[in-house]
Amino acid sequence: MVTLGLALLSAITVAPVAAAGDPIVVIVNAANPVENLTVGELKKLFMSDRSKWDTGKSVAPVMVVAGAPERTAFLKAVCGMSDADFTKYFMQAAFAGKSATPPKEVGSAAAVKAFVGGSPGGIGFVKAGDFHGDGSDGGVKAVKIEGAAASDSGYKLKM
Amino acid sequence: MAGACAERWDGLAEENMKTLFSQSMNKVFGFFLLSACLAVSAHAQQAPNPPTNQDEVNKQLLRRLQELEDEVRQLKAQPAAVAAAPAPAPEPPSAMEMPAVNEVAPRLKLNFFGDLGYQIGHYYGPTNAFELSEFDMFATARISDRVSLLGEILFTGQADNSVGLDIERLYIKYRHNDYFAATIGRIHTDIGYYNTAFNRGDYFQTTIGRPAMYEFDDQGGFMPMQDLGVVLDGKIPSGKLGLNYVLEVTNGRAYGINVEPAQNSTDGNNSKAVNVNISAKPEWGHGLDMGFSVRHDYLSDVNNLHVSELIPVVYVVYTDSKYEFLNEASLIRHAMPGGPVFHTSAFYSQISRGFGPYRPYFRYSYVNAPETDPIYGNDTEIPEVGRINGPTLGLRYDFTPHSAVKVEYDREGMDGQKSTNGASAQFAFTF
Repeated sequence: MVTLGLALLSAITVAPVAAAGDPIVVIVNAANPVENLTVGELKKLFMSDRSKWDTGKSVAPVMVVAGAPERTAFLKAVCGMSDADFTKYFMQAAFAGKSATPPKEVGSAAAVKAFVGGSPGGIGFVKAGDFHGDGSDGGVKAVKIEGAAASDSGYKLKM
Repeated sequence: MAGACAERWDGLAEENMKTLFSQSMNKVFGFFLLSACLAVSAHAQQAPNPPTNQDEVNKQLLRRLQELEDEVRQLKAQPAAVAAAPAPAPEPPSAMEMPAVNEVAPRLKLNFFGDLGYQIGHYYGPTNAFELSEFDMFATARISDRVSLLGEILFTGQADNSVGLDIERLYIKYRHNDYFAATIGRIHTDIGYYNTAFNRGDYFQTTIGRPAMYEFDDQGGFMPMQDLGVVLDGKIPSGKLGLNYVLEVTNGRAYGINVEPAQNSTDGNNSKAVNVNISAKPEWGHGLDMGFSVRHDYLSDVNNLHVSELIPVVYVVYTDSKYEFLNEASLIRHAMPGGPVFHTSAFYSQISRGFGPYRPYFRYSYVNAPETDPIYGNDTEIPEVGRINGPTLGLRYDFTPHSAVKVEYDREGMDGQKSTNGASAQFAFTF
């Protein structure tokens, strides 16, 4: 019983805490045939510079709300921008009359996966700890970035 | 003891802890099993130990359980949204701190822009003055997946202290795909880079004033910045080169003192202005934007003036979060029917670098129009352009994500006149 309690304590005290250097997994709808994206393509997809996939489906980017560490790291690595710059970019694009729609914002990694899984053209990103890749993520799949999977040493998208 | 543990477990299995466990279970489960196995083994080995040691262990365990109960109570006290995110994350900034496009209805987005300032020096006038510069009401609406509307109403402080009202832009746009969109309405002309990049929103542009070659034509500028007509635009399939095109067919500009430059309902002649802008944003450029535009129009007035005007502009621009480097040049050609040809040269170069919220900047502008030019040298048509050149030096400070204060010094040399100096300050904001 004591040991059961100790086991319980051990389990409780080990929580998935995101750390610097943890990969950020880019996910798309499982029906999307795309397997690999470049950072340049990712930038276009998230900055509304490309509106359709090769399949003809509308691109539907989604991300967690401002302040989430994976979002901050993603915007810096892919778009070269801070959160404020990213928001200002879409404001200025709208003011310039461009057809630029900012990514949908949701409150959690689970909501990102749910949105991408429910949208044929959905694309989003989550921390590696929030993506299991065992079929329990609900109709989404991970894509390689510049030919590397999130578990590879040369993977570029990290926190 | 077994009952006690079971009770503890029941307590811990409440909603918050369930959420905590469910999101970390995959990682934790293996560790849990391993711990349990080790524990069974340890229990077998500990059985012969004296009861006092077991009591100490039990006491330690109870203390730890008590600590955990406290943690559970703290978790329960937090909002449900926090419980849904097991990994501790920095609290996102509040909506008040982030600039945003305001959605006032499912299809309508509305933003206001404004700027107020203070001006000193002969460059602006004989006296110093506070200034109401502009108040801009900007709305967009998406009425279907492919059709959108844009409307912009502008209130501008005038030199005679009145406030002018202008429908700055109003158009409807059909976007078929990334490669083709069609627009009809009153637009800002896609000449070069600056005019459509910054439009009227002084909040977006780094500096207080625009480069001399891009001064608005209804405020003394000499290039056609606004027009009415149709626009076709989109991407050109070009892979990583990132080519884009814009084609405008518009009424063209009216010339004359106290004449509205944009021909809103009548055109002085049947010929239409045509403007083509080709630009490239190469994928490898990371903020590089370069291109050219060429616009042609025939200028007419009540005096039967009929001048062929050609406005070519080339530009190379680099912008990212830190650096801004804008360079544009033009050689405007005016030709009388069967007569002489006149050229007006113009360029500017602007550089700035961000240091956190501070951004110092420098710009040099140059315009030189011949005195004999039938349009720019004839002050019965528009104010004479002549030669204008000089530096601008300033500092921008973004004191919130949606408001900035700028201070700026200008020195302007004019053909045949003494150079003038001016200083100005501006508060530019959006809400």
